Amino acid sequence: MLKQELETTFDNITIRMEKKNQLELSITKDGIMSVLSFLKNKGYDHLHVISCVDWIDDKQLELVYILSAYMKQDVPGETEQLNILLKTRIGRDDPKYITSIALFPAAEPYEREIHEMFGVDFLGHPRLTPLLLERDYDIPPFRKDFDTKQYVDDVFGSVPSVEGEDKN
Amino acid sequence: MDRNQLKKWFQNPVKMAHKYSLHVVYFCTGCGIIEIPPSITARWDAERFGIIPVATPRQASLFIIAGYVSLKTLRSIIRTYEQMPEPKFTVSLGSCPINGGMYYDSYNTIKHLEKYIPVDGMIAGCMPRPEAIFVGVTHLWTLIDKDMADGYKRYRSNYSAYRANQEKILGKLEWPPLFPIHGEE
Repeated sequence: MLKQELETTFDNITIRMEKKNQLELSITKDGIMSVLSFLKNKGYDHLHVISCVDWIDDKQLELVYILSAYMKQDVPGETEQLNILLKTRIGRDDPKYITSIALFPAAEPYEREIHEMFGVDFLGHPRLTPLLLERDYDIPPFRKDFDTKQYVDDVFGSVPSVEGEDKN
Repeated sequence: MDRNQLKKWFQNPVKMAHKYSLHVVYFCTGCGIIEIPPSITARWDAERFGIIPVATPRQASLFIIAGYVSLKTLRSIIRTYEQMPEPKFTVSLGSCPINGGMYYDSYNTIKHLEKYIPVDGMIAGCMPRPEAIFVGVTHLWTLIDKDMADGYKRYRSNYSAYRANQEKILGKLEWPPLFPIHGEE
């Protein structure tokens, strides 16, 4: 039912249902806001998380919005809780995307985290200030080209040992 | 009381009192804190050893750092350590504060804790059992007996080096130095 409505309403949408209660939607990046508001009006008004995947070979970042109805009674005709994974891909170099706070206020911390860990700039976000990290990183640390071992050797390895000075 | 130790009690009562009434502030950052509730409650009953958890660092004399230390927790570890009155002893629990442990290549975890604050004893293991905590504590007793648990003295004498390390990794610290820093005046 929902599948048919999505297919008739949106172009360029691919719908897969690999598990029983998990619907996977992929769409080009111009359709995300309209799909989100469509699903919100359908009753899927609970945004679990916004996640991000770095596809370094395709030179793309994938944003994943995970939605469900807060209670299954909210959606008429639904017999068990349906999780909706809404995926889109954006370019990896200087990534920018629009914020979804206007639809889901709960998106704010997730977008801050993705900004911090993957470097995605969410336009219209009220405060993209540091959330979890303490230091500044040249490359955002969750990207695949961030060499953690090299970084550890450079930063933590360069701190001199105090006890060594003591023995001299 | 052990009668064999009467001589020690008369020779240096203050040191013996420090030994047998270690007031602990636990730093509940990593997975190591899961070993603390069984060790302070009835099963292993740490109060047999005079170890009792206290509410604030102002009352504590032993600082147990349980588990990995990320950059943000390092900041509060330093603040907690500097608030404790002397004499103070530090024991780190688990392999992560020793050399990073399984977080050896993590971008956000401190690898060697002893570069930032002095550590008197390190209990290895991932995670150490509560028995290992008591072995570590009894070992700390012998260190206190021999005046070898002198981390707070080393912190005082090497403060400028410690502070430089802390500022190197954390950026500018927002609290004033605890001791005067050499080379500034």
